[in-house]
Amino acid sequence: MHTDVLVIGAGPAGLAAAAAAAEHGAEVLLVDRESRPGGILKQCIHDGFGVIRYEEKLTGPEYAYRDIEAVRAYGLRVLNNTFVLDLKQSVDGFSLLLQNPIDGAFRVDTKALVAANGCRERTSRQVFIHGDRPAGIYSAGTAQNLINLHGYLPGRKVVILGSGDIGMIMARRLTLEGAEVAGVYEIKDEPSGLTRNRVQCLDDYNIPLYLNTTVTRVHGTKRVTGVSVAAVGADLKPLPGSETLVPCDTLLLSVGLIPENDILEPLALEFDAKTGGPVVDQRMMTSVPGLFSCGNATHVNDMVDYVSESGFNAGRAAANYCQHGGSQGSVEVVSGNNLLYAVPQRLVSGEEAAIYFRSDKTIDRVILVAQAAGKELFREKYLRIRPPEMQKIVLQPLSPEVESVEIGLEEVT
Amino acid sequence: MSAELNTVKKALAAANLAEVEVIEKQGALVLEGQVKNWQQYLEAGYAAAGQDFRGVVNDLEVEGLENFKQQCESSPEDFSLERYSFDVVVIGGGVIGCAIARELTRYNVKVALLEKESDLARHTSGRNNGMIHSTMAVKLGTKKYLYNLRGNRMYRKVAEELGFDLKWPGSFAMLDKNWQLLLGPYARRIASKKGVQGFRVLSKGKVKELEPNAWEEQTGSFYMPETGVVDPYQVTIAYAENAMQNGTTIYLNTKVLGFEKDNNRITAVRTNRGTLQAGVIINAAGIWADHVAEMAGDRFYTIHPRKGVIAILDKKTGSSQSYILGRAQLSSEAKTKGGGLVPLLDGNILAGPTADEVPGREDYSTETHELQHILDHHLVLNKTLQQSDIITYFAGTRACTFEEDFIIEISEYVENLVHAAGIQSPGLASAPAIAVDVRDMAAEILKNKMDLKENPDFNPKRKLAPQPVRLSLKERNCLIENRPSYGQIVCRCELVSEGEIVDAIHAPLPARTLDAVKRRARAGMGRCQGGFCTPAVINILARETGRQVTEICKHEPGSVLITDRTRRKGCEQSAH
Ligand SMILES: Cc1cc2nc3c(=O)[nH]c(=O)nc-3n(C[C@H](O)[C@H](O)[C@H](O)COP(=O)(O)OP(=O)(O)OC[C@H]3O[C@@H](n4cnc5c(N)ncnc54)[C@H](O)[C@@H]3O)c2cc1C
Ligand SMILES: Cc1cc2nc3c(=O)[nH]c(=O)nc-3n(C[C@H](O)[C@H](O)[C@H](O)COP(=O)(O)OP(=O)(O)OC[C@H]3O[C@@H](n4cnc5c(N)ncnc54)[C@H](O)[C@@H]3O)c2cc1C
Repeated sequence: MHTDVLVIGAGPAGLAAAAAAAEHGAEVLLVDRESRPGGILKQCIHDGFGVIRYEEKLTGPEYAYRDIEAVRAYGLRVLNNTFVLDLKQSVDGFSLLLQNPIDGAFRVDTKALVAANGCRERTSRQVFIHGDRPAGIYSAGTAQNLINLHGYLPGRKVVILGSGDIGMIMARRLTLEGAEVAGVYEIKDEPSGLTRNRVQCLDDYNIPLYLNTTVTRVHGTKRVTGVSVAAVGADLKPLPGSETLVPCDTLLLSVGLIPENDILEPLALEFDAKTGGPVVDQRMMTSVPGLFSCGNATHVNDMVDYVSESGFNAGRAAANYCQHGGSQGSVEVVSGNNLLYAVPQRLVSGEEAAIYFRSDKTIDRVILVAQAAGKELFREKYLRIRPPEMQKIVLQPLSPEVESVEIGLEEVT
Repeated sequence: MSAELNTVKKALAAANLAEVEVIEKQGALVLEGQVKNWQQYLEAGYAAAGQDFRGVVNDLEVEGLENFKQQCESSPEDFSLERYSFDVVVIGGGVIGCAIARELTRYNVKVALLEKESDLARHTSGRNNGMIHSTMAVKLGTKKYLYNLRGNRMYRKVAEELGFDLKWPGSFAMLDKNWQLLLGPYARRIASKKGVQGFRVLSKGKVKELEPNAWEEQTGSFYMPETGVVDPYQVTIAYAENAMQNGTTIYLNTKVLGFEKDNNRITAVRTNRGTLQAGVIINAAGIWADHVAEMAGDRFYTIHPRKGVIAILDKKTGSSQSYILGRAQLSSEAKTKGGGLVPLLDGNILAGPTADEVPGREDYSTETHELQHILDHHLVLNKTLQQSDIITYFAGTRACTFEEDFIIEISEYVENLVHAAGIQSPGLASAPAIAVDVRDMAAEILKNKMDLKENPDFNPKRKLAPQPVRLSLKERNCLIENRPSYGQIVCRCELVSEGEIVDAIHAPLPARTLDAVKRRARAGMGRCQGGFCTPAVINILARETGRQVTEICKHEPGSVLITDRTRRKGCEQSAH
């Protein structure tokens, strides 16, 4: 089988990429390993999706539905329940081994590839929780899946470790389903999710949020019977003597998301250690020509609207690549003062570019400055900036002699 | 008082443990009294070991420790096995018990294997490094040595017959001081005495050439090419399935609670599920073998657990290393098999184990300092590895006697009991050889009571379920066409299909828990640790076994995964 653009993942990023590529004249194949398109949005039944793109507050499934309808309208090929078993570069693009229960295992050759695989959750083992291994330890996303897609309650009395958005949303969801949430425990001195989620999911339901506190140990051998929690010092290490036991039957973890790019491993592309995703330019092209990355596979976004945006960019560029070829832009974006990261990490000159960034700490009154060779390109003031809230700026087309752009946050004193 | 007893008294006094009482019972030393802490309990045990007695029974009480001798609560009670009768009853469903059962089926005997847990290899056999050691690190003259040597050489054939994976990456025991290379000729002599084939001493440069990512501080290495790697769980299951194929009955959730005896002979085995008649009893109860020995009236050893924590690293690390990397242990006193970094069959690297004496025999909790030890001591042996590569970690306990050797013998006091006890490391490597000898001991006893013959129907080859990833594309598609569920991937990280999960659930020894499915089919073993496939596997388990999802357990009765249904059905439910 042959195609121009193959999109892996039918979440909001992949759906947008597929639609954009089709719009720009490419033949498109969209594959997803799940039985229905929509990606993680299928299980996000709360509202708040689409505030930028539609100026509406949609639920996850509603948001996804609009994109699925758009893809349908183009009549492009969509394969569900389809896994990528193997992926390699070929003379004129990429060769993939796919498998599903109907067609079995089969090869597809494509000129351009869009990897929109989304992200996965950090596990209890990755935050080094000790004790035995009883039932009742779930990541917040797995709990969300169990409750919203399957109608199963993972437990009755729940402790949540980490104040990521999914954790806070699940605190509310569990409460609504009749479970008791004993508290949300966060090791840092501020919640790691959005402020609106803290207010709407915890405060409104009287669910306590404990900052500078962590879970040190799980108790129980069959099912969780409780967890030890402890205050932490400035080094984030538990303070001796501060441990207390919180009885519960469930521990949910909301301790971070990791872009999922495992299938790209054979391609030896450049990764950004800070985002966990591939290094891309504003067209979302990676260091491998013809390979594009978008959505949460590139970096973890806080708003689905930005995810869709990156998908559109990737899809359009992939269709373009099929006709004109090309390679990644060479202008380097350097993330300077007070920045956690900035995406894209490379730029193509002569084209407008949206840059998304996060600060590395909460700062009041800062100015974002983008400059090239000492010349200021852009400046914007923020009253307050927090790492969970991603920011977006738009840079005007760069002139060809610019080799690198530095972006940093300057505190106003 | 005998001279030996006096020697022990003196040794105890030297260890400031003069108040410990020592008596001799059934040819074994028994320690009685009370000590202040676990450390003293161990010191007393070791002080008493090494004399000309059958073994050390440590009955000391430890201040402040009450429950350490107690076994966990008993499984549910019924009488389903009442009055069943077997020629041989094997106690313990670890690698040792299963291998013995399989070897016994070469004869025309009726064999039952009893395991207290809901799956095999829930204890030590499922919690170890999976190494088929060379004999370089074991002491000459011990049973450990003899069985390790023979076991190692039997593995190739056993793997072929039973259809489990086995590879021989070979192991490096690295040195970190220049003078240690002077030990080369001495090490070579030891290696040849111990029958370590292909042993070599490698220079620093040679190590670098063969293993470019090896430890920065190495100054050279000993190299033992005949060190192998298996998945110990697969080995146990493979032996068990072949034993079943040849007539063995395996009873899970069946715990031995006592014995009925007629003088020096056991007549029946009492379990939570009724009393079985038994001709020969084999004690392969691992960490609890001393309890079984006591119940049988032949108590001459006490087992103390030595906990080992192991970490598993992400598959993507696999390509950074080809050999097993460890440190040379130059002192023969070391109480551990050093371990290190083991490249596993599926591409992950295993790091560990640690070795800590703990009172709890089934205490599988892990501690921060244990993981730290793995980081400091093992992870550094491959300079590309990082803490963030760890995807999971867990613990196992070694069943150590104070003599620190295997006990493989016909009981001196009970005429139809065979012990396969004290099987700490390298027990896995030794299993094939231990099984053959224990089979012969059982035959020795049986031969007087029955007409013992070879089993004409014995088939050494295990029947295997299809493994799609091992098939050619064409064969795989044929399989998927016949059963589309082989084409439906459920575990994303390890690419396990629904068909393979269903096969595990309906295997001769059915996988009935989430962990059993994970161990059999690898679903949930990968980097997301079951985050994505857990809901699907719960559903498949419920569907295939006709149970409610609220009845599906993680690993043992009581470890339920789903407590309730929500107020409304989920959409994945109504869609079906
Ligand atoms: C558990 C979880 C809960 C979340 N909850 C919220 C929330 O409540 N609110 C919020 O604003 N954001 C939430 N997010 C963030 C959310 O992921 C993003 O807003 C957005 O949905 C990401 O879109 P995406 O298309 O990049 O990825 P996804 O929506 O994850 O889509 C990726 C798709 O690719 C498929 N795929 C991946 N690899 C392969 C492969 N090898 N072969 C075939 N198919 C593949 C996946 O199955 C999936 O369908 C959540 C994220 C997670 C992980
Ligand atoms: C951390 C660690 C690393 C190791 N690494 C290696 C290695 O790399 N290579 C190697 O060769 N060896 C290694 N070993 C040693 C090896 O794992 C053991 O020697 C081997 O698994 C012992 O098997 P077993 O069958 O005797 O014990 P087990 O697997 O413990 O089996 C005994 C079984 O008996 C059952 N049982 C107990 N009491 C009763 C009862 N009353 N009724 C019914 N059933 C009962 C238990 O539930 C258990 O399942 C390691 C051990 C540890 C702890």
